[in-house]
Amino acid sequence: MADKDDKRPDHDDQGKGRARGVEIHDARAPSRRNFLKSVGATSLAAATAPAWARVGYVNHDEQEPQDKRADEGEAPAKGTQRITLNVNGQAHTLDVTPNMVLLDVLRHQLALTGTKKGCDIGQCGACTVHVNGVSINSCLSLAVMHDGDEVTTVEGLGQNGKLHPIQQAFLDHDAYQCGYCTPGQMMSAVAILNDAEVASDDAAVREAMSGNICRCGAYKNILSAIQTARKNV
Amino acid sequence: MTETIIGHRTTRVDGELKLTGKADYTSDHNLPNQAYGYPVPSTIACGKLLELDIDEARQAPGVIEIVHRGNFPQLQPSDNNPACGTAARLYRSPSTMAEQNKVGEVRLPFEDDGIHYEGQYIALVVADTFEHARAAARLVKARYEVHEAVPGLFSTDDEGEEAGDEAVSRGDPAGAYETAPVKLDQTYTIAMETHMAMEMHASIATWEDDRLTIYESTQGVVFQRNALAQIFGIPPEKVTVIAHYIGSGFGSKLFMWPHAVMTAVASRMVGRPVKTVLSRQQNFCNAGNRPASRQHVRMAADRDGKLLSIRHDSQNETSFIDSYTESIGSGTPRAYACDNVSVSQRRVQVNHGTPTSMRAPGEVSGSVALEIAMDELAIELGMDPLELRRKNFAERDPTADLPWSGNHLRECWDDASRRFGWEKRNPEIGSMRDGHEIIGWGMADATWEAMRSHCKARVELRADGKVQVACGTQDIGTGTYTIVAQTAAELTGVPLSRIEVKLGDSMLPAGPLSGGSMATATVLPAVAGATRDVIEQLKQIAIADGAPFAGKEADSLEFKNGELSDGSRSVSFVDILNAVPRGMVEGEASAAPGDEQDKFSFRSFGAHFVEIRWDPGISRLRVSRVVSTIDIGRAINPLTAKNQVEGAIVMGMGMGMFEETEYDPAGNIYNNNYADYVVPVHADIPDIEVELLDNPDYNFNEFGARGVGEIGITGMAAAISNAVYHATGKRIRDMPIKIADLID
Ligand code: FES
Ligand code: FES
Repeated sequence: MADKDDKRPDHDDQGKGRARGVEIHDARAPSRRNFLKSVGATSLAAATAPAWARVGYVNHDEQEPQDKRADEGEAPAKGTQRITLNVNGQAHTLDVTPNMVLLDVLRHQLALTGTKKGCDIGQCGACTVHVNGVSINSCLSLAVMHDGDEVTTVEGLGQNGKLHPIQQAFLDHDAYQCGYCTPGQMMSAVAILNDAEVASDDAAVREAMSGNICRCGAYKNILSAIQTARKNV
Repeated sequence: MTETIIGHRTTRVDGELKLTGKADYTSDHNLPNQAYGYPVPSTIACGKLLELDIDEARQAPGVIEIVHRGNFPQLQPSDNNPACGTAARLYRSPSTMAEQNKVGEVRLPFEDDGIHYEGQYIALVVADTFEHARAAARLVKARYEVHEAVPGLFSTDDEGEEAGDEAVSRGDPAGAYETAPVKLDQTYTIAMETHMAMEMHASIATWEDDRLTIYESTQGVVFQRNALAQIFGIPPEKVTVIAHYIGSGFGSKLFMWPHAVMTAVASRMVGRPVKTVLSRQQNFCNAGNRPASRQHVRMAADRDGKLLSIRHDSQNETSFIDSYTESIGSGTPRAYACDNVSVSQRRVQVNHGTPTSMRAPGEVSGSVALEIAMDELAIELGMDPLELRRKNFAERDPTADLPWSGNHLRECWDDASRRFGWEKRNPEIGSMRDGHEIIGWGMADATWEAMRSHCKARVELRADGKVQVACGTQDIGTGTYTIVAQTAAELTGVPLSRIEVKLGDSMLPAGPLSGGSMATATVLPAVAGATRDVIEQLKQIAIADGAPFAGKEADSLEFKNGELSDGSRSVSFVDILNAVPRGMVEGEASAAPGDEQDKFSFRSFGAHFVEIRWDPGISRLRVSRVVSTIDIGRAINPLTAKNQVEGAIVMGMGMGMFEETEYDPAGNIYNNNYADYVVPVHADIPDIEVELLDNPDYNFNEFGARGVGEIGITGMAAAISNAVYHATGKRIRDMPIKIADLID
């Protein structure tokens, strides 16, 4: 399979796993600075856009002039709001603009790209995550609404390097093809299995899973995977 | 390891990456200093762009550049526009299959001020964040001269242009029709469909001097590399296209679309990587579709059901900027034994984006008309529809007068009809009931051509115990990573856990498109060749002076279970390679089809049996059961192969019952999203029972595999329509079937 350690310089996801937010702060490492980034002065925008507009995700602090950095504890930048998201058991303090969507914040700022975007308007289910134990479409939710919330994404399903029973069941039953809808399918499946209101028969599961489209059409195997995982969760 | 790996149900080798969120799809990549592109689409379908007002957007927060006709390199040489860099001219790709540089839309972005379809790009906003780019894109204003649009095939009288190379004729179909006792003359239509791959089209482009690297959700890294090289006028070695994981494509990602060119140009202009992810809405306009089609079928038989004549004349939509032919009748001349057959195809220009291949392109559309027509003819004859098909079974390929390499259609009929319980069918319309519901049973044949192309592959054995296989094809969800690993494991005896497969990178040895169900038959022989080659190389190392088998003949050694053996002593490849400076050895091979096509006709066949339930009280139509038997030669991995057939059946349900891209009279799509463009969801899914026969087709390749991606969708919509007729007596010839068609 694709080797993520490919040595081509532009190949690896540089910055993946690093803080990529407008402002990111790891609560477990309180000494880490919050920083506010500006777009590199090399770009055309730097010459034309007003200074306040130059807030980007770009966070290569080694490239940034010292005086552009905000020190820890500095107030959030104009037009942003500071929130704390607890994602997969880890707290992140972020400054977000009001139009930032939870899905995009997870993918762009926190580099949690396991959660997928299939439509961006709440129609496909690819972006399903759990917020405080409830499954939601993260593309339909503004990040500022989630201050203090507990978010679980596909990256947080397995524990201690072991697959979650739903992941194991999806593997065993080949409950996917391209795998793009799969994180969302599994997040919904876990929510359904934990929801006493959803009956356990096939028809009920099919109905309850109908917010998660699988264009590859792996539905039959998704159903068997869920019914198998039921025994193990 | 003596156990055979090929032909076994192996869970996917890339499964864990997909299930933990670690598989890297295109838009998951983020490059240092990356900017975001957001396209601005035309809001009219036909006319001229008179004026583009970008002032307000230019001033919006975070905007870096707005790419549009006025500053696009082709139109303005570099010395007038420093932002364009030095090499400012672009060229059109020749767009040929033979040169492997085919593109989806030949016209370059912003090439002229004409607007040919809704959603055509008029600008690309580049900003520092996705949010800024999206917000600014909404501030771009355009003034148009609006012309009257041709909103689709069904709203024009234009007969279109004949696609001459599609015409096939044998015997005297018109004459045979005239004198035949039983005749059918009907017209069938299929609405335009959109692929709706879950992962939206995306490109991330970055330049290092004159080298372009582009991450793209593509079914063909090599094709895209070649096309970009042509467009930018640079050697192919200077372009790298990467697609490690693809959120499927179904054809929409076979050939490059203009967003990739636009993104690559933007990256060069701003001197930064640029990422463009098309919105779901834009995916409808600019990334291909299955064109709407109209088919005229005239068929005749004698009183015993022997087919005497088939004429199948079709029209498909194309755009005003490309000439796309859907080969709708291409399966017809081979479908049944009939001496008098003709097929023709016409293209009608409409104001839509250029169509492209969509799963089983052409033939699946043709199968709708042909297989409904067979059902109609059976009823006319008072004959069981399966019996009519049996009567007209083609013992040889009637077009080429060649024997089939393997045609197990009869076995498929027998197996599927038995499992379905077809003999219990009461042919009388509406006679089968279950409570409120009327049950309908219908069937249709499935078929798809077996194709194979050329391919290169590389295999490395390494002192760390790993075997690495590399090929510049890609896995779009079909399981290519897994079957490549299975092949290497089978031939080396090294366990799957120690096989690494690298795909989805145009720097790797050139592999085929992932399309047309040809990847398996194309890639595996090359992988096998490279594996054999590396084993030969290993033997040479092992017999060199000082090596474990010094002095022996290479031919006297055998490689099994990861070990070389001379019959009395075995040494693992790890030990052999540990002793050589590089710590590894590599083998390469290329494979291509031979002259087997001159000796045999290669096709896959199958049969679908479908049960529908119609509840007239609440006007509910459901597919309740599908039983299919398909012969694809050998399934390298029955687990993933069956999954593909099941998925194709689901997509066939979409074609038959839900899917339709709808245009208003001005040529604008009004259902460009997942809620209004209806695809099958989980609650729609019936019991699907697929069996794959196991008849390896060794004439085709050493593994006996003919490919599996397309065949499952063919015939499905027809089988549903035939079942609907059996339940309701309403013959629906226009796909998708609508509830309104069934209400009295
Ligand atoms: S991306 Fe959120 S529902 Fe589709
Ligand atoms: S696995 Fe491809 S969309 Fe579900």
